[in-house]
Amino acid sequence: MNDDALIFGDQSFSSRLLLGTGKFSDAEVMARAVAASGAQLVTVALRRFDRDRPHDTLLAPLMAMRGVTLMPNTSGARTAEEAIQAARIARELCGSRFVKVEIHPNPRHLMPDPIETFNASRALAADGWIVMPYIPADPVLAKRLEEVGCASVMPLGSAIGSGQGLATSEMLKIIVRESRIPVVVDAGLRAPSQAAAALELGCSAVLVNTAVAAADDPPAMAAAFAQAVAAGRQAWRAGLMAAADEAQASSPLTAFLK
Amino acid sequence: MNLMLNGEPAETSALTVAELVREHVGAQGRVAVVLNDAVVPAASQAATRLSAGDRVELLVFAGGG
Amino acid sequence: MKNDTLDESSFCLPETIDPRPWLGRPKPDARAVAAALACDAPDEATFVTLAQADPDVWLEPLARRAQALTRHHFGRTIQLYAPLYLSNYCSGGCVYCGFAADRHQTRLRLERPDIERELAAMKRLGFEQVLLLTGERTPHADFDYLLDGVRLAASMFHEVTVEAFPMKTEEYRALAEAGCVGVTIYQETYDPVAYPNFHRWGPKRDYTGRLNAPERALVGGLCGVGLGALLGLSDPLFDTLALFRHVRDLQCRYWRSSFSVSFPRLRPEVGGFQAPNPVSDRLLAQIIFAFRICLPENTLVLSTREAPAFRDGLAGVGINRMSAGSRTTIGGYSHAAEDEGQFVVSDGRSVEEVCAMLRGRGLDPVFKNWDAAFRDVLAPEARTCCG
Repeated sequence: MNDDALIFGDQSFSSRLLLGTGKFSDAEVMARAVAASGAQLVTVALRRFDRDRPHDTLLAPLMAMRGVTLMPNTSGARTAEEAIQAARIARELCGSRFVKVEIHPNPRHLMPDPIETFNASRALAADGWIVMPYIPADPVLAKRLEEVGCASVMPLGSAIGSGQGLATSEMLKIIVRESRIPVVVDAGLRAPSQAAAALELGCSAVLVNTAVAAADDPPAMAAAFAQAVAAGRQAWRAGLMAAADEAQASSPLTAFLK
Repeated sequence: MNLMLNGEPAETSALTVAELVREHVGAQGRVAVVLNDAVVPAASQAATRLSAGDRVELLVFAGGG
Repeated sequence: MKNDTLDESSFCLPETIDPRPWLGRPKPDARAVAAALACDAPDEATFVTLAQADPDVWLEPLARRAQALTRHHFGRTIQLYAPLYLSNYCSGGCVYCGFAADRHQTRLRLERPDIERELAAMKRLGFEQVLLLTGERTPHADFDYLLDGVRLAASMFHEVTVEAFPMKTEEYRALAEAGCVGVTIYQETYDPVAYPNFHRWGPKRDYTGRLNAPERALVGGLCGVGLGALLGLSDPLFDTLALFRHVRDLQCRYWRSSFSVSFPRLRPEVGGFQAPNPVSDRLLAQIIFAFRICLPENTLVLSTREAPAFRDGLAGVGINRMSAGSRTTIGGYSHAAEDEGQFVVSDGRSVEEVCAMLRGRGLDPVFKNWDAAFRDVLAPEARTCCG
């Protein structure tokens, strides 16, 4: 019985590392990286079928892995309607109830659109999906998504693929403090230490893609991330010592209470 | 008949969605079908007839973050 | 009459508020208190550690941290408000209150012209934030009477809040539509076993109805609630930890709303009730510091129940909102009264004197927190939250 389970909706997981499947050089490396990571939730995207590009060699090993749940993302959608459609399409392919709502209309920085994301998430949550919205690290947006029934919020650490780490850490702290649902840092992590830092500040999980796919040895990097996530979580549970307090001079404030 | 398939003009002898899928995808595994912006579930594909000028999208999973 | 022994089945304190899992722990050592002082995500354990730290060693460091946090979140401002007792008719039987139905008080109710006169007098003193008070519901001072008072006050003051009897959601909604922005309601004691001993008869015996009133107020569209426990009734650690949990639970669910905490401490009253668990000045200060450290962004209120020296010491050191020049007698702003009011006012200084004291301490008294002109643009529903 896992006393520290990660719960999304009505689904329980033991791994706090979620893995993306994009940007890998080939499907075999990707599958080994997933296995090495211990990830139980793995994102996939949609593309048009192309008879010249065989697709099952990517998906077949994933779908055969025990304990791995696919989480289709709606990447490519620019509006809430397109995202909702993408979710329906994805359900045709794998029947997963999970959906990562990812709507980034600007292809240069790939920043998520908060309004389309909110509208799509609200509709999908009402329809019974386990909704995991990818969002800017905005504390109010996070609470509004929680209100409409999302299973988590996934604020970005920094821009997708940028490797800038937890640039949004101050906002993440506020989100973590206020949230009643898991907070999954998604995007921008480059190194396992950053994943550990995310867990240490109280985030429930991280989603990593580029950092693993672009490493020289993706399966080894995936395993390193898994260790970092576990360490960060254990440190958070163990109670980190406080950072040093500011020194204060001047006369006593409580003399009048003697 | 002529229709649009994945954004390109295409010609097909298929009369139903199921036949079109067999023609283009064959035994390569599962695709999702969107016909004129509506998702066609697998169970309905044999009964869904095509018309000239229809827009069909065939979609699969790919790697993504 | 409920039995006096701790009966689990009648212990109606919800799990989200129940402080018992954190009580009965050993006193914290120096390492634990230092960690709690520097904690940036304080929780129940942090609160208990700070509340139980040895004051001889830790009161000063707690004060410093409380002052730093008060400055960080509120600058040097101290909000000033004034209470207006509309009526001292009360059907209640609270053993500790000067307005209880069996206390000998001249019973009065302000009529409309009296209310206007009182409000005008308060406005001349500089106030823009007024707290309207009544006792438990009576035919003399019922909901409609209170609603009329709110309408009148809202036409003259930028901020009108109310401290009265627990109401239904629809009643709170009507108050909000009439211009009330907040409701203060103290659970008095969160200990459900002790609670009936202090509330001898009437609707106030309904512990759970009272406990859920703040939530009804928020659902009804009020922007914020003020909570508190009457210190001295029960074990202070039990009540203050339950209060802390109550605030945190509500503000997590009603995240658009504001939550203030007050620290009413039992004072002498006309019936001569003695506090069973008296709270010393040092302990009250420590509690206030613990609240400031653990709820750094919430407004903490200290009224004229407390003596001048204590109020002066706590202003800006945890406390960021105070009443001044208060009259707890009916009609007391426009004329002097012979009776003692709800409680004996300890700090009888005038508004000017309190402001001078605050400025002398580098603090900035503010009478107006925000402008009522913005409020009229939005219907109350637009300001509410989903729980």
